[in-house]
Amino acid sequence: MLNQKNMTSNDRHEEGMIQLFTNHTGTKMLALTSSFPFFFIGTIRGVLDDYVMVFVETTNVAELENRVWNLHIHDIEVFYLEQEGWPTIPVLGENGGGG
Amino acid sequence: MRRFFHIVAIPIRIVLNQFGDYNPNGMMYVLKENEKKVRKLVRKNPFTPVELVQPLMIRANEGDVLEVLFENKLPFQTGFHLEEADYDVMQSDGTDAGFNTSSLVKKGERKLYRFRLNHAGVYPFSDLGNPASGEKGSNSNGLFGALFVQKRGSWWTHPETGGTINSGPFADIHHPFLPSFREYGWLFHDEMETKDLTGNKPLDLMTGEERESTHAVNFRYEPLGNRKKLIEEGVVCPECEGEEVHHDSWVFGDPATPVLRGYKGDPAVIRVVHSGVKETHVFHYHVHQWLKDPVNQESEIVDAQSISPQSWYDVAPLYGLGSLQGSIGDAIVHCHLYPHFDVGMWGMNRVFDTLQDGSQCYPDGTRIKALKPLPDRPAPPKPTKEKPGFPNFIPGKVGFKAPRPPLGIVGGRGLTELERNAAIENPRPGAVFTDPCGFNPEAPVIEYRISAIELPLIYNRQGWNDPKGRIFVLDDDLESVLSGNKKPEPLVIHTPAGACVRILFTNRLPDVAGGDAFQLFTRTYEAGFHIHFMKFDVLVNDGANVGWNYDSSVLQGQTIQYEYYADVELKAWFYHDHLFAGHHQQHGVFGSGVIHPRFTAFLDSATGEPVIHGTEITAVHPLIPDYRDYSLFVHDFALLYNKDGRPIQPPDYPGSQDDPGVFGVNYTCEPLQFRLNGPADPAYSFSSFVNGDPYTPVFRCYQNDPLRIRLIQGAQEESHSFHIHGMRWKAERPDVETRYESQKHIGISESFTLETLATHDGDYLWSFATEEDIWNGLWGLIRSYGETQQDLIRLPDQPFVNASAEKPSPSLKIPPKADFLNSPAPEGAPLRKFRVAAFHVPVVYSQYGEHDPYAIVFAREEDMGAILRGEQTPEPLILRANAGDEVEISLTSYLTEDRFPFKDGIWPYPEIKEQAYYPPSLRISLHPQLVQYDVKTSSGENAGYNFEQTAGPGETITYRWYVDQPFGASCLWDMADLRNHRSLGTFGTFIAEPRGTESVHPYTLQGEESDSSVVLKHPFLPETREFVLTMFDGARLLNNIGELITDPADGLLDQDQLEEEEDLFDTYDQGSRGFNYRTERLVHRMKNDYQTADLFSSDVHGDPSTPLFEAYAGDPVTIRLTNPSERRRAHTFRIHGHYWNTDAMDLTSQVKSFDGHLITGHAADLKLHYGAGSYYGFSGDYLYRSGNIQWDIELGMWGLFRVYERWQKHLPPLGTKRNADHQL
Amino acid sequence: MTSTNESRAAELGVVIGESILVVTKSDQLNLFGQTFRPIFAGTVREVGEGHLTLDPVTIKMVTAPFFTFPTPLSIPLENIAHFTRNFGPEKVFPLT
Repeated sequence: MLNQKNMTSNDRHEEGMIQLFTNHTGTKMLALTSSFPFFFIGTIRGVLDDYVMVFVETTNVAELENRVWNLHIHDIEVFYLEQEGWPTIPVLGENGGGG
Repeated sequence: MRRFFHIVAIPIRIVLNQFGDYNPNGMMYVLKENEKKVRKLVRKNPFTPVELVQPLMIRANEGDVLEVLFENKLPFQTGFHLEEADYDVMQSDGTDAGFNTSSLVKKGERKLYRFRLNHAGVYPFSDLGNPASGEKGSNSNGLFGALFVQKRGSWWTHPETGGTINSGPFADIHHPFLPSFREYGWLFHDEMETKDLTGNKPLDLMTGEERESTHAVNFRYEPLGNRKKLIEEGVVCPECEGEEVHHDSWVFGDPATPVLRGYKGDPAVIRVVHSGVKETHVFHYHVHQWLKDPVNQESEIVDAQSISPQSWYDVAPLYGLGSLQGSIGDAIVHCHLYPHFDVGMWGMNRVFDTLQDGSQCYPDGTRIKALKPLPDRPAPPKPTKEKPGFPNFIPGKVGFKAPRPPLGIVGGRGLTELERNAAIENPRPGAVFTDPCGFNPEAPVIEYRISAIELPLIYNRQGWNDPKGRIFVLDDDLESVLSGNKKPEPLVIHTPAGACVRILFTNRLPDVAGGDAFQLFTRTYEAGFHIHFMKFDVLVNDGANVGWNYDSSVLQGQTIQYEYYADVELKAWFYHDHLFAGHHQQHGVFGSGVIHPRFTAFLDSATGEPVIHGTEITAVHPLIPDYRDYSLFVHDFALLYNKDGRPIQPPDYPGSQDDPGVFGVNYTCEPLQFRLNGPADPAYSFSSFVNGDPYTPVFRCYQNDPLRIRLIQGAQEESHSFHIHGMRWKAERPDVETRYESQKHIGISESFTLETLATHDGDYLWSFATEEDIWNGLWGLIRSYGETQQDLIRLPDQPFVNASAEKPSPSLKIPPKADFLNSPAPEGAPLRKFRVAAFHVPVVYSQYGEHDPYAIVFAREEDMGAILRGEQTPEPLILRANAGDEVEISLTSYLTEDRFPFKDGIWPYPEIKEQAYYPPSLRISLHPQLVQYDVKTSSGENAGYNFEQTAGPGETITYRWYVDQPFGASCLWDMADLRNHRSLGTFGTFIAEPRGTESVHPYTLQGEESDSSVVLKHPFLPETREFVLTMFDGARLLNNIGELITDPADGLLDQDQLEEEEDLFDTYDQGSRGFNYRTERLVHRMKNDYQTADLFSSDVHGDPSTPLFEAYAGDPVTIRLTNPSERRRAHTFRIHGHYWNTDAMDLTSQVKSFDGHLITGHAADLKLHYGAGSYYGFSGDYLYRSGNIQWDIELGMWGLFRVYERWQKHLPPLGTKRNADHQL
Repeated sequence: MTSTNESRAAELGVVIGESILVVTKSDQLNLFGQTFRPIFAGTVREVGEGHLTLDPVTIKMVTAPFFTFPTPLSIPLENIAHFTRNFGPEKVFPLT
């Protein structure tokens, strides 16, 4: 649990985010950032300081996939952590356009 | 993933509409799987359109590898040239260019092309095996198509069945993370050979002469003439005239042209592509607006957008189909150029409110094809007897004109039961089936009473006039305007955002328009008030008569109420009549409403009294800076008479659309031919000392006042190029990251707000600057005062400035010389001095001996001797300076009278409308764009009451400019004599480089500042190759034996065109063209047997005369592209195999491989992504060229960009590579 | 002290299950080249120490304002620029 004494609410929020990702090691996540390449889907490998390490399967740029990306947690604009009983993240199929 | 298509080029008969108009020599790309089927269908249906006979449209995803097995069944070599893609230029360019191996395909043969699709968007494709214009060329005959590249992970289904789809213009596109949307391919094309059922050229029913050339969409067009014939033959609507029911499905059923179908709220994208060869069209789509750049959310909102040949954009309507208000019904989609619209370049977007499963019918009994709801949206309700849905609740009669809307017409009818069932909760006049103001019940309601009237309009002091002027006017002003107490101007009403606007429109126009030298008798018996931009119910409020909608216009004497909502600050919304627009819009039937920020107050600039309308007002706001608001409406073709009643530039026969009449701006003009007072020198034509102020608008402000200039084109067919000398603005107003510009291309119905300010006191020249426009009077002034004026209020929030600068007395007879130049730069700015000479020297334009014996060039004074001795080849002047520099230009005129070809200034070629005596000026000037300066001394023209800014023979004039930003390329040109100098070459390019840049010669790496090819060195930036392309048109050249070349005629590959078509060339098509005083006309490369395949080949013909730019694969490259020349025909610029950000300053701007609508004053910086050879660094010869098949490419507007793989002795590599090579 | 979903929501001034409109800091976001302003309308399902989660959530794209994103979206509280309560995803309002 967080030691909330002597923390500003900003600190608390940021620490809460780090904890959240730490607790979800192994979870599939989706994240949007305002920085290039803007969008990641992958599995959380762990958290280092305030970076979440994600094995990224899908981004906007195919060449940047299938590698570990270290995302600065506080620069994630919105995200989703896949969990039991919640919707799953769709798979981007190279389906040839035929449906 | 890999995606494969087998595509065949085949000859095909193309039937363009239900009336049987057809192209017997059509050509198309078709999927191999459809080849037999399409041939069979065409054999079976020789007189009706066949659905498969459409330009090929296929789909792929970003990141895909595309393989095209291309098979040629046409009798000449053809290819498949794909724009926007990455590919090996040796293998897959679909051309035979430079020293590349040919990637064209002979008849009966096949070739595999391979492409990588690295960005989403439209990838148009077309043939370059036969780049001829005219009926022998491949492009005008239909050999084009488009690949739509979707976002990664997309798939697509057939909109009717939900099943798979391999090709076709319409598909539903789906994505796991993004909304599904309707995709509509909309390929404009023009100049297609067309015969009527008898095999003859179609006639125009009105005039009995040949119909306007074909302007079509997806191989379909629906001309007014065909439909009108059914009226005249008594088949339908006997009481109708024609134009007012041209788009009426109640009378004629649906058109052959595309009907884009969807449900209310469906997300949609129209892929707008110009696959044609010649004209710059304006795409307009009723009810909807979109972002000009769909990938930049801060981009400008537009609802009409120009498009030049071989270019494209996406139209993604904001809020989906039906827009924010959820309007249902038919929204017409058309080219706004009226002659094109009339001849059939239109279709519709049909927005249904009930489910279409294929079991329903239109009122005329035609089955409504099924339409699958988009899977991620709720399905619309099924139609019922009580609520049959659009269009079946509308009480129309098939074969007759659409019914009038309920409630709207004063004294008109109420609702039928079915209408009541379909209506909103509180139906009222102008808001019956959609509530435009409903989502903001608190919106203030503002009501205007407006009439359309006819009255004579006086255009200038020489008495040019339109005796049948037709304009909008506020009812409150009727008496004062009709009695002559108020000068008529286009009606501009001012409204704050967030208001609900009600218009009570009364039709007071005469119900007949008599015949005259320009036009034939027409019964203009109804009129409406059609508006752009605002939110409204299209069924009852469109001020038009479209599809299965109501006819929301009124007869003479009737009044109709419309209701609109101004959802956001929407710049200026355009309005005009939509019923007889082709007939009378050029008489002045246009106006606008300006939506200002909420809480703005509008004041009369002279008195400070509140106003609600006016082309020049003062806007005051409690929070944002107050501003002056000016509106300028340019219009062609004004049908004017001189004071003696002689028609000015009448057409060959009344009713001809072949560019009748002249031009106007705010119903005025100030032709240069009347501005030869005093010394009778064109250098003083803009001077108020010599010729008084112009009759055109002279807007007024104080120094430092913020200005918002509303730029609108009211009529009718042409591109115009707007400039303000000494001012600049952000290219897209909502986005501060976009580049600065001081020129704007505009087509009819486009609307721009230019936000700028007057940095100095003095007179700023505004103009529509193509030669024919400005010659015929499209210019005026913005007068900025330093001292308080009795009749001009101050902006309340502006600090009081009293300019102390020296100022000439208006009583002088000629502009005086300034005693000293104020520095526009901050103290300490480095001063860079250029001595420039203007002199006569013959210029050789090509290796075939084409030359201009009378040329006038600008050059560095130190180079003048070498150029005159023939030791140095002249290029258009290039001046480079760095951001932060102050530039001092000393310009000397060496012009002499005997070196001008036409002493009276009347050029027999290239000509302009309304030629008149205008003797050559021996004075010269240099006008810049984008730099900062004191307009009184350094703008390079004698405008208004500014100081002398031209140099007479032997004299030197000095300018001071401050380069405050690294804005890149801009144009330079002479303003002393637009008529006698420009065709001879008096223009150049100014480049503002980043601070600390040094330019060196690419071969020697030594200091070089004036060459078109340099290497830019910078301590913190990559070494970059810079290539300057100064595009020109309107040149007057002689051939190698001294005979005059009259282009386009002399340069046509297919000379038969000349015999087949009279009046083939408009005035503004005349002249030779190319880049950097060079041209490579293809006629020289054509063999006797009409072989077009190797026209671009250097193996066969050697390299072209145009600039050859060289680089190594991967070298950073910036192309500085300018067009400082003169003609009104807009060009497109393309480089094969490369792409760049459309706005060089804005990384969020869309990536494309062309630069569109180049016209006088256009400038762009093309920073090639990934450098020379693009993403994969492929070496080879890349064509750079115009996108206009008709008539630029034939006439020499093309060249080569050579990318080397291996080290060349003459070309040292760049930067780090150079160091590496030294070690080798 | 153990905080619950509900208590954290109360600290933030929202109620689990209510519909809110949230705008985050950046100019625009980008999904496969589709750009949009970060404006989200949805039902608060969860409030964590540093984030809240909307489910279902509508991204107010200007060309498709009623697009329901295929998964819930969580928003770090530090990246929220502003939010407003009692705001249904079906509400029509200008987005430019």
